[in-house]
Amino acid sequence: MSSKSRLFQRNQMTLGEKLQEINVPFLFLIFLTACVGFAMLYSAAQGFHPWAFRQMIRFFFGVGVLILIALIDIRFWLRWSYWFYLLTLAALIVVAVKGTIGMGAQRWIDLGFMRLQPSEIMKIALVLALSRYFHMRSFEEIRSIAPLIPPLLITFVPVGLVMMQPDLGTALLLLMEAAVLFFVSGVRLWKFGAIIVAGLGSLPILWSSLHAYQKKRVLTFLDPESDPLGSGYHILQSKIAIGSGGLFGKGFMQGTQGHLNFLPERQTDFIFTMLAEEFGLFGGVSIVLLYSFIFIYAYYITLQSRSHFGHYVGVGVTTTFFLYVFINISMVMGLIPVVGVPLPLISYGGSALMAMMIGFGFLMNIYIHRDIRFGRNEIYG
Amino acid sequence: MVSAKKRKKPIDIMRDRLLFVALFCCFFYGIVAWRLIDVAVFNTKPRVEYAYRPTKSVSSVKFGRMDVVDRHGVLLATTLQTPSLYANPRQILDVEEAVTKLKKAEPSFDKKELRKKLSSDRSFVWLYRNITPSQQYKINRLGIVGLHFQNEEHRFYPKESLLSHLLGFTNIDNKGIAGIEQFYDEELRRRDLPLVLTIDTRLQHMLRQELLKAVNEFTAIGASGMIVNPKTGEVLAMVSLPDFNPNNPTGSDQESIFARFNRNTLGIYEMGSTFKMFTIAAALDRKTVTLEKQYDTTQPLRIGKYLIRDFKPKNKWLNVKEILKFSSNIGVARIALEMGGGNLKVFLKDLGLLDAPLMGVGEVGLPTFPKRWGDIQTATISYGHGIAVSPYQLIRAVSAIVNGGVLKPLIFVRPDDPLARQIIADQEKRVMSEKTSERMRKLLADVVENGTGGKVKVPGFRIGGKTGTAEKVKASGGYAKKALLSSFVAAFPIDDPQYVIFVMVDEPKGTKDTFGYATGGWVAAPVVGNVIKKMSSVLGIAPDHTFSPKQIQYRRKNRSGI
Repeated sequence: MSSKSRLFQRNQMTLGEKLQEINVPFLFLIFLTACVGFAMLYSAAQGFHPWAFRQMIRFFFGVGVLILIALIDIRFWLRWSYWFYLLTLAALIVVAVKGTIGMGAQRWIDLGFMRLQPSEIMKIALVLALSRYFHMRSFEEIRSIAPLIPPLLITFVPVGLVMMQPDLGTALLLLMEAAVLFFVSGVRLWKFGAIIVAGLGSLPILWSSLHAYQKKRVLTFLDPESDPLGSGYHILQSKIAIGSGGLFGKGFMQGTQGHLNFLPERQTDFIFTMLAEEFGLFGGVSIVLLYSFIFIYAYYITLQSRSHFGHYVGVGVTTTFFLYVFINISMVMGLIPVVGVPLPLISYGGSALMAMMIGFGFLMNIYIHRDIRFGRNEIYG
Repeated sequence: MVSAKKRKKPIDIMRDRLLFVALFCCFFYGIVAWRLIDVAVFNTKPRVEYAYRPTKSVSSVKFGRMDVVDRHGVLLATTLQTPSLYANPRQILDVEEAVTKLKKAEPSFDKKELRKKLSSDRSFVWLYRNITPSQQYKINRLGIVGLHFQNEEHRFYPKESLLSHLLGFTNIDNKGIAGIEQFYDEELRRRDLPLVLTIDTRLQHMLRQELLKAVNEFTAIGASGMIVNPKTGEVLAMVSLPDFNPNNPTGSDQESIFARFNRNTLGIYEMGSTFKMFTIAAALDRKTVTLEKQYDTTQPLRIGKYLIRDFKPKNKWLNVKEILKFSSNIGVARIALEMGGGNLKVFLKDLGLLDAPLMGVGEVGLPTFPKRWGDIQTATISYGHGIAVSPYQLIRAVSAIVNGGVLKPLIFVRPDDPLARQIIADQEKRVMSEKTSERMRKLLADVVENGTGGKVKVPGFRIGGKTGTAEKVKASGGYAKKALLSSFVAAFPIDDPQYVIFVMVDEPKGTKDTFGYATGGWVAAPVVGNVIKKMSSVLGIAPDHTFSPKQIQYRRKNRSGI
């Protein structure tokens, strides 16, 4: 009884209380990882221009966004999450329409100071929308079938739009993060089983609908040596670079793959390769550890939350982050086919960084508001 | 029991599933970490083997000259069917109208020339040969009576100037008149599989970049370089600067002719101090010296009216090792005189330095050396003056010195090709003992560790090499003090050499960074160092930071199997 009343007392927090609750170690881990990114971008360009400096500015802007999101009451976000999702969806549609009207296949909208890729922001927006939906449903509802149709629509509309861009990597990422949220919400396991079986069954159809270049990527992944100069080039060259780093690497700015232009996209999707070449196995393992600290921390924050909404958003953001890291590193080491997924906080790219900072903002928000309890009806109160 | 079987509470299901997701992620993350270790530690073998296997193309019918590809199958030269435009002036109704229409359709055409050709009274004139399909389309649409097309073969080099001297080019009738195209002209017409070269386009590109950088940095008039596998004689890269675009090789001005000159095979140069390694190898192999034997280098050496001096005199007695390390002219001349000119000559002949080599490109330079071989000639030749050889010959000889003592022809087509097999069988021979080769590798490692070649050092790589600086012969005779040929030849890893790298910069000017020096040690050695550094990442050779020069294990056993 007494503990309950204490919690209810704490249901509103002052700004000062919130500021005190900011999780500094978590912020520090993020900052540290971003610094590694600055150093690698500096090395890739042999100077601050054109990448490192811009990335720094974006990062500090992102920190502002992170803190802003973190300080706003979690119930506000619950209330506005559908709007956030719809806005992002609208941006996706704009990009799709622009693409078909003949401005060429574009994935971004020019905001003047940066090019925004709605598909990146959608990764967070989808988490928010699904989290709100599941938060609003009772456990019994989730166990039945009909209430699962709206969240499936919420998922598949953006996935379809992203597929059309065509950006297979992001589409799969959205699907996977949605799957995790469905799983955590308590959807019955046999439904997952059914979907997996159906998915495997439709693989041949999916295969035939893939673009030729996508098919080729999958095929060369299975046997990179078959096409060492074409699609297999990235994977081979990347593995060579990682191998040539040895245990301790060639030293900062001494990597040659990146600087020689043998490594295409070295500042974005293949930045891990550069890192492994310059700092060797030691550097690669350090980064892998740094990332694992971040997501262990993120799961810890998720489990601290006392609201379902917090759980969902937390696990959604953390999973997205994990998938980014996992897919990117696996890709450069030839564990999975080449898909355009950046290394979070390190790769050059404004939208991906912004999406990640927004995501971390919500994690921080969950941490600050971890003791605030609110039920399904909170939204109307 | 009943309570245990009771359904889990929703909140527990959620928590369980959260944990499951976390563990699931951890598991996959573990796989990634393991893979990282796997790639970084167990995936470090160099990749230069021939992954590419030429196959008969089923889709296209063979016509004309066969393609040339690099060791990985990168297309270097191919034959295209291109239309050529010709006219039968007798059929042309209105010359002026035709000229205006043609000029309008293709503004690059020359009106005057067209008018002249179309007004002639012959029944056949070439207008433009090897035009593009889009040009053909445009001209066809004009519908001018009397214009015709004929499809001709046209050689196309997708890499443009990257391999200009090596590939050479063909004339308008598609006959090879330079480089590989010339040497293998018959073969390329005859065969129905692509000709696979030993070249690695990546290394070629990288070597060219580094040489271009050096030419700019030292405002040199040219440069050349080669990368060779000393165990097999395969040429992995060969660059000569300035170069040209073999798609458009014409031009009879001085500059174009200069650019078409292949420094590596046609050019012969006095190589200077790199020759000291041949002299010392000869003396070691003929057992006229031991490594510890000391020579007086305190005073310039007088032979007749000539005086031999050292570039940087040490003013003390030096042993054989130090003579090479400090590149002492006096010391090496004494060694040569002691062994006798005859011995030196035979050894140099064995190393293939006195005869024109048979190689795979059309351009072959004849070495020059004095007819009479007296004391003064022996002395100057011992440090590479008075004898001029091509870089090709030099690298071949150095390869023999480091590979265990077997002279192998440098080849441009892959070794299992019958063309190469024949050359190898004809020319391969042992020229010194394994023991001499092993000692020479030690000496060359010492030159880099402690001597004039220090600028080639790359942390973690075991390199051996020798600098060379020669003054160019003036047109008026005598040496031009300011016009230098600065070179460096390196082998790595020096305990078991897989690569021999040669770089020569023609007339470099010293810079502030080199304190005004333009010698091989200051100019060419750093270029070789950069090349090795970059090669290592192209080929996936990991640096070994635990390496210390004292630990080098020199393998006695010759691994090439000879």
